[in-house]
Amino acid sequence: MIVVEHLTKQYGKFTAVNDVSFTVKQGEVFAFLGPNGSGKTTTLKSIVGLNIPTSGSIHVHGINVRTHSKAAKQFMSYLPQRVIFPETLTAREVVRFYSSLRNISKSVADEALSNAGFNGFSDKPVHEFSGGMIQRLGMTVIAIPDSPILLLDEPTANLDPQGVKQFRDFITEQKAKGKTIIFSTHLLAEAEQLADRVAIFVSGKLAALESIDNLRTTFLKEGTIEDLYLHYVGNSQK
Amino acid sequence: MNHLLITRIARQELLVNIRNKWTIIFAVVFGVLVIGISYIGIMAEGYSGMQNFTRTSASMLNLVLYIVPLVSLIMGTLSFTSDRGTTELLFSQPVFRGEVLLGKILGLFLSLLLSMIVGFIVAGGIIVTVTGSEGLLQYLLFVLLSLLLALVFLVVAVMIATSNKRKSRSFGIALFAWFFFVLFYDLIILGVSLLFKGQTANTILFLSLFGNPVDMVRIAALIILDNVSIFGAAGAALLRFLGGSGTSVALLIGSLLVWIGIPIVVSHRLLNKQDI
Repeated sequence: MIVVEHLTKQYGKFTAVNDVSFTVKQGEVFAFLGPNGSGKTTTLKSIVGLNIPTSGSIHVHGINVRTHSKAAKQFMSYLPQRVIFPETLTAREVVRFYSSLRNISKSVADEALSNAGFNGFSDKPVHEFSGGMIQRLGMTVIAIPDSPILLLDEPTANLDPQGVKQFRDFITEQKAKGKTIIFSTHLLAEAEQLADRVAIFVSGKLAALESIDNLRTTFLKEGTIEDLYLHYVGNSQK
Repeated sequence: MNHLLITRIARQELLVNIRNKWTIIFAVVFGVLVIGISYIGIMAEGYSGMQNFTRTSASMLNLVLYIVPLVSLIMGTLSFTSDRGTTELLFSQPVFRGEVLLGKILGLFLSLLLSMIVGFIVAGGIIVTVTGSEGLLQYLLFVLLSLLLALVFLVVAVMIATSNKRKSRSFGIALFAWFFFVLFYDLIILGVSLLFKGQTANTILFLSLFGNPVDMVRIAALIILDNVSIFGAAGAALLRFLGGSGTSVALLIGSLLVWIGIPIVVSHRLLNKQDI
C-alpha cells in the first residue's frame, strides 16, 4: 500500500508537484497520465526516494520513505524512463550486480536472464544491444527481486510495437502475481487496457483520480478516454 | 552502512572502469613514462642504463605531481556525473546513498591504483634486476604517496561532481582545480608572502603547505628520498619546524588523510540533500 499525502515538490520558484494526495491499494495497477512536465516523473521519483519532497509525506507499507528510505525501497523496484547500463558490462553482469544488492544469488539471476530470452546475448556487452533489448534487460532487473511494488516511468516510450506488446505481457504477468504497479504513460489506450485506476496530472496538480470501471460507466458513455483526458487537461489549463 | 553492499558496488565500479578505454590508455601511458623516466633520466648525465630507486623516484615525482591529479579529477568527475538512467536505477535499490558514494569511490580508487601500480611494479622489477634493491623502501613509500595523491584528487572530484548538477560545469571546475593546485597555488602563495616580511612570511609559507595536497606530497616525497636539501635553508627550517623527517612525513600524511576525509563528508551531506 502506498499513501501519498500533500506531496509538493518545488525546484526553485517552479512547482513541479503541487499538493498531491492519493492512495494506491495492494495489488492495484495505477496509471499516471498527463502531458510532459505535469509532475508524473517527479511523483514517481519521490515515491522511490530519488526526489526529496519540499513538503508532504509518502508511506510505503507504513514506512516513511523520507526517513527510512532503505527499508521502504526493499518493497519497490523502479524502472527509469530511459534506463542506461554501462556499455562494457554484459547482460549477465548487469543482472547479477543488481541482484547482489538485494542479496539474490547468482543462480537466481542467471535463471531469470535465461527465462527473459537473452540466450545468446547473456554474455554480450550491452553496447551490442538494441534500445528494446536494453529496456527488456531493465524489466528483467526489476522483476528479479519479486518486489511487491513496481514503479515504471513511461516504460513504452522508446519501444517498437513488439517491445510494447512485451511490456503489456509483463504487466499482465506481474498483475497476476498480485503486484502493486504504478506506471506513467502518454498512451491513453495503454492506461485503459492495463490500469485499474488512473491519475491525471496537469501542471503539477492531480486533475482527476478515477477507476477505469468508473470512467467507463459514468464518464465515457458518449466519448472516449481521450475526450475525458482532453477535458481535464483543457479545464486545468484554462 | 553495509560493508558488503559497499564492496559489491566497488567491484562493479572497478569492472566498469578497468574496461574503460581511457583507464587502459592512462595505464599504458603512465607505465611507459615511469619506465622511460627511470631509464632515460641517467642518460642525460652521460650514462646508459637504469637508475637506482631513489634517483628513479625523484625523477618520477614531477610526472606524478602533474598527471595523477589530472587523471583522478577526470575519472572522479566522469563517474559521478554519469547518465541519469544509470544513477536512478542504482539509487532506487535498497541502499543508502552513502553506501553508493563509498562503493563508487573505492571502485574508482582501485581502478586508478591498478592502472598506476602496473607501471610502478614493472619499473621496480627492472630496477631491482639491474641495480639491486637499494632504496626499495623509499620507492615503496613514494608509491604510497602517489596513491594517496590519487585518492585526494579523486574525492575532490567527487565533491565537485556532487555539488554541480551539470556535467560540463563539473568538468570546468575540476580542470580549474587542477590548474589551481598544480600551477597557480605556489605563485599565489609566493606573491602573498612577498607582501610580508620575516617571521610572518615564513609562517604563511609554512601554513600554505597544508592548503595544497600537491605540495604536501612533493615535500613528503623529497623528505623520504633524502632530497629535502634542495630546499636549502628553507628545507632545514621546515624539518626543524616539523620536528625531524619522521614526524614531518607523518604530519604530512595525516594532513593528506584529512584532505581525503573532508571531501567525503561534504559529498555525503550534499548527496543526502539532493534529488537524484
